[in-house]
Amino acid sequence: MVSMDPQIWIAAFLTLAATSYAFRDNKAFKFAENTFIGVAAGHQIVMGVKNIRDYGWSHLMQGEMIYIVVFLLGVMLYARYHKEYYWLYRYPIAFLVGNGVGISIRAGIHSDFTLQIAETASPLIASTAMGSINNIITFVGVITALSHFIFTYEGMHKDTLGWGPKIGRWMILLALGASFGNTVMTRFGMYQGRVIFLLREWLQIIA
Amino acid sequence: MSIWEKLMSIPREVIMALVFIAILIPALNPLGLPLMVGSMSQAWYDTVDNMPAGSIVLFDIGYGSGGYPSLGPGNIAAFHQMFENDLRIVMMATDLEGSMMYPLIMAGVKPESNYGAVYGEDYVFLGYIAGTQTAMAGVLGDLHALASADYQGTSLSSLPLAAEVGGAEDFDIVAYMTTAGGTAEGWVYQAYSQYDRPILGGCLSMMTTSIKPYYDSGQMLGLMDGIKGAADLEFLTGHAGDAIISSDILSFTQTLVLIFILIGNVAFWMQKGGGK
Amino acid sequence: MDYRRDIPLAITFLVGIIAVLDYYTTFESVTNTFTVIKNWGVVLQAFALGLGAVNLFRVHGKRVSERTREDWMFSGWLLLMLVLFVVVGLGTGQYDASTQYAWIYNALYMPLGATMYSSLAFYMAYGSYKVLRARNFEAALLFITAVLVIIGNTPIFPATFPVFFNIREWIFGPIVSGAYRGIRIGVGIGAVVLGIKTLVGLETGYLGRW
Repeated sequence: MVSMDPQIWIAAFLTLAATSYAFRDNKAFKFAENTFIGVAAGHQIVMGVKNIRDYGWSHLMQGEMIYIVVFLLGVMLYARYHKEYYWLYRYPIAFLVGNGVGISIRAGIHSDFTLQIAETASPLIASTAMGSINNIITFVGVITALSHFIFTYEGMHKDTLGWGPKIGRWMILLALGASFGNTVMTRFGMYQGRVIFLLREWLQIIA
Repeated sequence: MSIWEKLMSIPREVIMALVFIAILIPALNPLGLPLMVGSMSQAWYDTVDNMPAGSIVLFDIGYGSGGYPSLGPGNIAAFHQMFENDLRIVMMATDLEGSMMYPLIMAGVKPESNYGAVYGEDYVFLGYIAGTQTAMAGVLGDLHALASADYQGTSLSSLPLAAEVGGAEDFDIVAYMTTAGGTAEGWVYQAYSQYDRPILGGCLSMMTTSIKPYYDSGQMLGLMDGIKGAADLEFLTGHAGDAIISSDILSFTQTLVLIFILIGNVAFWMQKGGGK
Repeated sequence: MDYRRDIPLAITFLVGIIAVLDYYTTFESVTNTFTVIKNWGVVLQAFALGLGAVNLFRVHGKRVSERTREDWMFSGWLLLMLVLFVVVGLGTGQYDASTQYAWIYNALYMPLGATMYSSLAFYMAYGSYKVLRARNFEAALLFITAVLVIIGNTPIFPATFPVFFNIREWIFGPIVSGAYRGIRIGVGIGAVVLGIKTLVGLETGYLGRW
């Protein structure tokens, strides 16, 4: 028994319209595509206004008048569209970039560098033979993959030294193959959700 | 045109149609195949299982409509386990659509009717907070300096759970599910690196390879690996859902992909050999 | 001093250095200042969310007013959908928590968001057929692990022959861990270097046109 809910019918139509691109470009897909861009932008505005209210306006209403500066900076972001005063948007952008960069690099040294090296420097010999082999492969993989990205020293990719980057390249290719395999599963895993929706909620032919 | 050339040039529409059929057949007639649980999902499950009752989890719904088919079922299974274990959850969203995923997830978990959970005491939803890592740093640094109300505008001071948590030291564990690499890394930087909070992460399968170094180095205690990880969590928690159903669909579609790969390669090499 | 360049660079440096000091020191003044910066950052990021919509209005509004392009009606529809979401979202006063907003989200955004990303599945299948070839040694390396992982991820194979699951788990053990840890360290170094260059003003691309 097909669903009589208009929301389900709209969703089903848009699902099929968006899927149709897999076969060829067509007007139904263009319709779906433009709908998507419009609703996504609209949703961004709604969430933006809500956040401004909850995390900006609420502070202002509690008497923190300094937030007037924040609102001013926020409005200045839109100066980028002005021919003459576009440079005003650099002030809020500078704040955002400084904040973003500072917040991410401070921990990046610890998480992406120190701890990764510490983990690599752990004992190669494990309690089992397979464990030892795995540790050696991991160690070799890390060192050679890193050496593959050294371009400042010319001799790195030549002669005997060149074996390191070469093996690193092979290790990276092996890992990228694994990543590809997982990507295939990701995409199918996503689309199956839409098929289940069409069969269960729209056509109601599966439980 | 030789047979091999024909096999190498099957029209795109035929491939696409076969894929669509391969998705439909198992959806209509499930096989019910057994599942083999991955070690990272098992680690997630064991970590939550070993947490004492009353522990507080900070959970980030860091995905939207694009990630819901893969991560939604896992999120539902994870919440089932957390509520069953009497954990308290402070939820937030770093994804723009995260707040729209919340009602869908709660409709799947039904914490009030299934576990007697009370909103405000056992779980709270802060809503979407802009800024990704800035939001994370804000919540973990001083929640009440950042936010004064929950997702529906209820004052945090009137919600016992929200009033109890001030910052990172009040959260026993941080968990997230996300489709954004920046969010996955961000929680490691902000929660583990800055505050030494243990982390459980869930991401799309295609992100697993790049996030795995954090799991290997002990910065994450568990990693839910996309739809496969979601199926594992559903199996382990005993709450079968869409992820387990998808296992059958994956069997058909991925087998079809393997057949295509085989045809393409055999035809390529036979044609190459015949051309010499 | 060029107030259009030097002041923004100074702001970037000051804000960034306070963020870094907050991590490495325990001075209360630094912590309190950074708390303010974080809270301001959230509000500014929220303001930035509207930039995309403004650009859409500029581009598609022009197409609708000129009506020279064949697909100008699609542009009109796009702007109509944008306005619909904004009106419903802001009109109810409850934003994303309102039932009306949830209705249009589940009818329009959810199916499109889910399908747009996932319909790449068809292209994955076609791409695997057309491109995934073991043409040479290096391509064969990628091919081997891709095929083994796909087999390991396909539930019917591990269910029949559990060894495929173990092979997949092993590939994700030493092979992926080794290579991606190396990549992660390299990316980490690169990100930190770029970040420091940005903070000290050597990297100014974010300031846009002069």
